[in-house]
Amino acid sequence: MSVLPLDAADDVTTEPGPPARRRVPDVLRRPGGLLAAGWLIFIVVASLTAPWWRPYGVAEQDLANRLALPSAEHWLGTDPLGRDLLSRIFTAGTEPLLSSAVTVLVAFGIGLPLALIAAERGPRVERVISRVTEVFLALPSTILLLAVIGVIGVRIFIIMAVLGVLISAAVYRVMLGVAQSVRTRLYVDAARVNGLGSLRVNVVHVLPSMATVIAVQAAQLYGIGLLIVAGLAFLGFGPAEPDPSWGFMIQDASSYVFNAPWLMVPTGLVLALTVIAANELADAIAGKAAGETAPVRRRRSPARTAPAEIPPADPAAVLEVRDLTIAVDDGPDLVTGVSFALRPGRVLGLVGESGCGKTMTARSLLGLLPDGVSVRGGAIHWRGQDLVGRTEKELSAVRGREIAMISQEPMVALDPMFSVAYQLTQPIRRFRGVGRGEARRIAAELLRNVGIVDAERVLKSYPHQLSGGMAQRVCIALALTGEPELLIADEPTTALDVTVQAEILTLLRALVRDTGLSVVIVSHDLGVVADICDDVAVMYAGTVVESGTAAAVLDGPRHPYTQALLAANPHVPDGVAVPARLASIPGTVPPPGSWPTGCRFASRCQFAQDQCRAPFPAEPAHGIGSVLCVRADELAGAHLSWDADPVGAAPTPATTPTAGASR
Amino acid sequence: MLPFLARRMAMAIGTVLAAVVISFLLVHATDTSPGAVRLGTNATPERIVAENEALGWNRPLPTQFFDYLGDLVRGDLGTSLIDGRSIAADLADRVPVTASIALFATLLSGVLGIVLGVAAAFRGGRVARLITTGSGVALSLPVFWVGILLVYVLALQLGWLPATGYVPFTVDPVGWFTSLLIPVIALTIGGAAIVARTANAGLRQALGQEHVRTLRAMGTPEWRIRYVHALRFASLPVVSVLGIQFIALFGGSVIIENLFALPGLGQAGQAAAASSDFPALVGVVVVATVVVVLINLLLDLVVAALDPKVRAS
Repeated sequence: MSVLPLDAADDVTTEPGPPARRRVPDVLRRPGGLLAAGWLIFIVVASLTAPWWRPYGVAEQDLANRLALPSAEHWLGTDPLGRDLLSRIFTAGTEPLLSSAVTVLVAFGIGLPLALIAAERGPRVERVISRVTEVFLALPSTILLLAVIGVIGVRIFIIMAVLGVLISAAVYRVMLGVAQSVRTRLYVDAARVNGLGSLRVNVVHVLPSMATVIAVQAAQLYGIGLLIVAGLAFLGFGPAEPDPSWGFMIQDASSYVFNAPWLMVPTGLVLALTVIAANELADAIAGKAAGETAPVRRRRSPARTAPAEIPPADPAAVLEVRDLTIAVDDGPDLVTGVSFALRPGRVLGLVGESGCGKTMTARSLLGLLPDGVSVRGGAIHWRGQDLVGRTEKELSAVRGREIAMISQEPMVALDPMFSVAYQLTQPIRRFRGVGRGEARRIAAELLRNVGIVDAERVLKSYPHQLSGGMAQRVCIALALTGEPELLIADEPTTALDVTVQAEILTLLRALVRDTGLSVVIVSHDLGVVADICDDVAVMYAGTVVESGTAAAVLDGPRHPYTQALLAANPHVPDGVAVPARLASIPGTVPPPGSWPTGCRFASRCQFAQDQCRAPFPAEPAHGIGSVLCVRADELAGAHLSWDADPVGAAPTPATTPTAGASR
Repeated sequence: MLPFLARRMAMAIGTVLAAVVISFLLVHATDTSPGAVRLGTNATPERIVAENEALGWNRPLPTQFFDYLGDLVRGDLGTSLIDGRSIAADLADRVPVTASIALFATLLSGVLGIVLGVAAAFRGGRVARLITTGSGVALSLPVFWVGILLVYVLALQLGWLPATGYVPFTVDPVGWFTSLLIPVIALTIGGAAIVARTANAGLRQALGQEHVRTLRAMGTPEWRIRYVHALRFASLPVVSVLGIQFIALFGGSVIIENLFALPGLGQAGQAAAASSDFPALVGVVVVATVVVVLINLLLDLVVAALDPKVRAS
């Protein structure tokens, strides 16, 4: 009975799954789940039918064979009165197996509706219900059960129903989280708007999404219930002799542990296996069974694919990416043949729609690709060395010290458990080898450098006390602690308010001007690029379609995709009339693995012809850059440019424009 | 911080009050009267009525309730119907036994569980699979069965530890410690499994956090990412599970006290339930709730120390 009420860790997924109808086959496909379900069915059927098949009656004594070991007559042996253990164990199973189900039913019968009501009626109702359940959760339920027994006597089904009432608080707590998260989904609102009643919304839309979590928790609770029934019987609060119960049979065995240790084995094993089966079933439903735990150990970068000693094409470049290919291990390419170069003190923008591989490219520069994704080919030349294929150890000497990174979501980029001071002074001490006091002074100075006036107050703050813009400034200060030469900024302003966006961009520009920092900035926003970048590489479907100086590319885009992006861009220069309508690009970026041969943009391009569908090389353009369009010269010669309202290119209904939606 | 503590304090008082109300109503809802319990089965109905009158059982319910509350505040839990002993004095001797078992088992579960959880989360592969499977089995084992197995192995076969019985600390500190060891180990097996699962899940979740990527991008040494940042992140769920664990152990100690003949609170609860000793039953529920609530308050302080969001609120 030392089992806690339900998995308090919430490590069983509290993320509601989509309404799934094929759950059961999924569970049974796992060996553990199959075995567990098999054992549970076996034990239930065998127990319920025991009166018809058991070899001996439960009270039938074989005094010549007391405390016998397993034999042909008594498969599991006999107890101190010579009664057959097999017959007794399975006869005893009925009560715990059924009464534990009562606990589960009562607990869910109360907890689940309460959770649905709390999730539906909003915070005030939720607070009231939650307070009451918190009280229930803090009550010592086993002791309370004893009080119930003391008052009403040993009536197991009622007692287990009372236990269900006590545990319903725990069920409510888990289910509330799930129900709330399901309710935030749009389709639930949509169903409400469509006039479905509250009950119908819950039954048709909310409950199916919670099915997995309910099943997991119910299976776990069933196991707990079994242990508690057996525990009560162990204490003598169970069926009276000679009727058998698992708990009392184990109690009985405990007094014979010296003479007849076998006695405790069969009953204990059957009980343990049944509880294990219930928990294993829960794990299998949750899909986190033992076999599935992926190792978290950092994966080593793959071995170098090509000799690193390629002389840089641009001797002045500090960073040169050449022919970079990034792929899912055993899966499709995410980025192919990406090349670009960056000179010191310049800002390079990687631009394109979501899903073009910009972020993957940026993260590969630091060797920080997600698990299961790695660089498959090409080179990343950084100050004369190739970063591809470096070990974690070699890379960590570069990270922070030479190349630093700021991310898209400043609010979650800082560790919520540590103060800003700690998070800044830690790397300062490591990078600069200074003491605590000096590190703090430097931290304050860095904060002031990124435009934070009351640096001392911010140092004492924790991340949740900072605004988004403030957090991003702290992140930039953090990135500067190692005095890096290159800063990678992955959509640094996307998550921020418009006014704050401008401030952060101004700050970055000032840093570049004052410190000679080089920057690779990832953005889907051409306004940002025009604002801050010296060079630009436009990416589409995992490759660079056009690159060059920002001025040249933005003023004279040669690739139709770049033209389309610019036409779809709502940023309008001062003094120019806002166009009557913005262009959109029909369709979406094709996902990795389904890229066409030839031009990957061809399927969405106004100017696509047959020749676009065969492979062709990139051509030099914009001075140091290139363009990947077989018709680029032809289009430029004809003065054709992307049309906001293309004739004869009506988008198909299924496609949605994705570009130009500057967030 | 202060509003947080005030809220938790109110919660604690509410919980104790709920325990009193529930057990009080429970006892009064039954057909059996305390007079019948005290006089045994041979008593005549007239004597039972007289006895109930003497015990004040026939007074209006609110009067009895507030009388009980008043006594409770003064630390008086009444006397047993069976042998007339003072319940408060009896339970005062028993709480330390149960509390020390639950506390030892919780601490040991915490240490062992965190070590195993860390190993599973950071080593991955076969170690992780072994720990996850092992903990899944361990938390399913009935504690009384594990206890018997331990007695068989550690006491009977190896002779390292006494099988049952309790030695008061004041009599023999070493004997006290060894008399608690098997019960504590029995409780720890399941407890450590639950903590290990929580720690494992928490650490995995921590390593997937965005701020860990920031730390990696800063070239932070892996040991610091794991043992400072990830562990700190996972400490909150672990602490809250340890709290629940303590409550479960404190309540669940009934079984282990029965098995090992330990004179704790659970044993008193079991005896009171078996004999329908109402005042003792209510007393056990109230005292157990008070202890649990105090531990919860302590945990709130720990959480406040760990979580800057709580501290700042």
